Amino acid sequence: MARRHLLIGVTFVVAIGILAVAEVMLQQAVTAQEGGATVRAPRFEVDPLWPKPLPNHWLLGSTIGVWVDERDHIWIIHRSSATLDENEKGVELKTAECCAGAPPVLEFDAEGNLVQSWGGPGQGYEWPQSNHGIFVDHKGNVWIGGNGGGDSHILKFTRNGKFIAQYGKAGVHRGPTNAEGLSTYSGDSNDQQNFGRVAKIVVDPRDNEAYIADGYLNKRVAVLDADTGKMKRYWGAYGNKPDDKNLGPYNPDAQPAQQFRNPVHCADLSNDGLLYVCDRANDRIQVFRKDGTFVKEGFIAKRTLASGSVWDLAFSRDPQQRYLFVVDGMNQRVHVVLRDTLEVVASFGDGGRQPGQFYGVHSIAIDSKGNLYTTETWEGKRLQKFVYRGLDNVPRRPQGVVWPRT
Amino acid sequence: MRVAAAIALALVLASPVRALAHDIPNDVIVQAFLKPEGQRLRFLVRVPLMAMRDIEVPQRRPGFIDITRAEAALREAATVWIAQEVALYEEEVRLPVPELVAVRVSLPSDRSFQEYDTALAHITGASLTDDNELPWEQVFLDAWMEYPIASDESRFAINPGLRPLAQRVTIVMRLLTPDGRDRAFELHDDPGIVRLDPRWHQAAARFVRSGFGHILEGIDHLLFLLCLVIPVRRIRMLVMVVTSFTVAHSITLIASAYNVAPGGLWFPPLVETLIAASIVYMALENIVGANVVRRWLITFAFGLVHGFGFSFALRDSLQFAGSHLLTALLSFNLGVELGQLLVLAAVVPALNVMFRFIVAERMGTIILSAIVAHTAWHWLTERGGQLLQFPWPALDATLLLTVVRVAIGIVALAAVIWIVRLQVRRKAGVATRESGGFAPAETGRYAQEEGRP
Repeated sequence: MARRHLLIGVTFVVAIGILAVAEVMLQQAVTAQEGGATVRAPRFEVDPLWPKPLPNHWLLGSTIGVWVDERDHIWIIHRSSATLDENEKGVELKTAECCAGAPPVLEFDAEGNLVQSWGGPGQGYEWPQSNHGIFVDHKGNVWIGGNGGGDSHILKFTRNGKFIAQYGKAGVHRGPTNAEGLSTYSGDSNDQQNFGRVAKIVVDPRDNEAYIADGYLNKRVAVLDADTGKMKRYWGAYGNKPDDKNLGPYNPDAQPAQQFRNPVHCADLSNDGLLYVCDRANDRIQVFRKDGTFVKEGFIAKRTLASGSVWDLAFSRDPQQRYLFVVDGMNQRVHVVLRDTLEVVASFGDGGRQPGQFYGVHSIAIDSKGNLYTTETWEGKRLQKFVYRGLDNVPRRPQGVVWPRT
Repeated sequence: MRVAAAIALALVLASPVRALAHDIPNDVIVQAFLKPEGQRLRFLVRVPLMAMRDIEVPQRRPGFIDITRAEAALREAATVWIAQEVALYEEEVRLPVPELVAVRVSLPSDRSFQEYDTALAHITGASLTDDNELPWEQVFLDAWMEYPIASDESRFAINPGLRPLAQRVTIVMRLLTPDGRDRAFELHDDPGIVRLDPRWHQAAARFVRSGFGHILEGIDHLLFLLCLVIPVRRIRMLVMVVTSFTVAHSITLIASAYNVAPGGLWFPPLVETLIAASIVYMALENIVGANVVRRWLITFAFGLVHGFGFSFALRDSLQFAGSHLLTALLSFNLGVELGQLLVLAAVVPALNVMFRFIVAERMGTIILSAIVAHTAWHWLTERGGQLLQFPWPALDATLLLTVVRVAIGIVALAAVIWIVRLQVRRKAGVATRESGGFAPAETGRYAQEEGRP
């Protein structure tokens, strides 16, 4: 019997020994495999179960704005029925039991439950022809831009959707009617009363100033008093006086353009008071001081043509905001960029319609825990959540879809 | 008249604004600090002003708060909605209504309530200026209250009483004790009296109750237990099986509490699926009439899985353990154990009666197990479907490394179990020799261990 016990005991010891050796060897193999090909960067996993289904057979249209407020509630704006096909809105057309466009503004809690919805035309203001961008300021007010033909204004509402103010008027700078009988509009990037198809707004709580990415028609950043809407200053690329001249298509081999191309698609403020501007079709981020002094620029996926690579960005949640997360709706990924050098160190996402994939990823925002939220325009039409898993060794090459794992 | 009312109602419903000013909010987060200092208990609290209904907030123009004239309304709101509602206890004795030291309005973006010192500095700091265009529904009310206490060393409890603020109320609160400890709580809706620094026996009592309630409400755990005991109703075997289950789920429950469990999104669905699979397996084993003498072993394996399941239920309530985390965990396990014993005390005699008077044991075992298997199979497919939304990991060195590490853990655990068994047998052998009987080791077969008479 003692011999049998000895045999079993030795078996245990040998088994653990073999496994321990295997563990060491595999650890070395993993380290060697990752050596040089990985980089220390934030890692994310898509949450395929977020958000929860919308009620009332509601569908999202092209979803062109997202923001996370101080309560970690996620706000999106989308184009609802205007971007839904007829077979997607049977309820509205009374042809079927499903579906209908959801109201344009939707608020979700951190668990992905729909908290409230509102938006659309109303008394006292001109709802944009094609709403674009959403921001919740330090007072809880909700700002909305628009990139429709005649959208040359900005709207401000309370959190519950009560109208507060409209800055600029709709339909200014109207040009001749085109061959299809539609009005044309021209940009005026030196107009101090109106805008030119605003893409995004952020408000600086320290100075109570709103920074406007202006826009799809104008080629400037404009700064307003956030209470009165009075324009205080504006500038173009490199801090130049903006010029609305048509620059033609972007050429990655040419000298960098001295003006923004349309659209000027985002303007976001870092903790250290720098303004990061998305010059989307020029594939670049330009960085300014608050007074418009040019600081630096960086190119992302520089050979991207057509709609460009720099659509929107968010800052990482560490106090230094070491990383930028830049959404790229042409290459269908999120670039992880070092804020200091504007160098891309990693990226994730890929084209497609499954969780973690993108079709026209358009906007991005981050919550207090470092989780990212993205929205998709065109036929992407959705909101996704990417759970922050901390700093980790992630591949330098594009990670593709970041499915949940350990 | 009715037509007019209908039109008015239709207009309201068609309005783009869905939330009305004086509606009960859906969701409110209250932030608070409690700090006993000498003979005073300081209570700093932040509440969204819109949750405090029936308060006439002075407005500079409709919808916008007039900060310079708001002091009286803020004091009234703080008194009516907080001071008179929150019940604080010192050594189980309720404290009187507090003195309201200061109130103020804050921006929704203000972050000063992340820390006690910044919150206190903020409340005592400069007020917002009246040139701020602030919708009153979007601001916070910050209040500083003080309760007279006998000693800052006392033990305190709170019954928040803030349920009327909203349909869902979350209270994020921190207790800062004189010895420098900082204890965080997240309370929901109406949690009743919460002891902020419980004695060990108070924590134990709470978690015994929690464990007891959990097992009785956990239908999947109960069905697993039922499957275990249908063919195993002798006391000795029952003790072995139940003890094995308890030890196993204790291991993983405690491991989870110390953050040893994987944090991936796939893990909860995996555990839930395995729990369903464990029930199906046990039921099928009963149906085919497998030998049950080694049931304690498979029970142990499944017990490890159920322990993770218990940990999901326990995760949010460990804050109530105070400084007695291990006591709380063991107490929860004890509660689970008591619940199991209660169920067994009812189920085993019922099975005995049923098998004696209603249906033959074999047939009864098959019928009961088939019913349980049917239910569990549905759970298995539902939970498995959720799990399958997560992809299989790539078969690479990283995965193999994980597998090897898990294997090391399993082999080490098996070795420990084997050593313990050996020691138990040795002691049993000694006891038998001392009583003049045969030691099991001398028989060459562990007849008693095999469950034979």
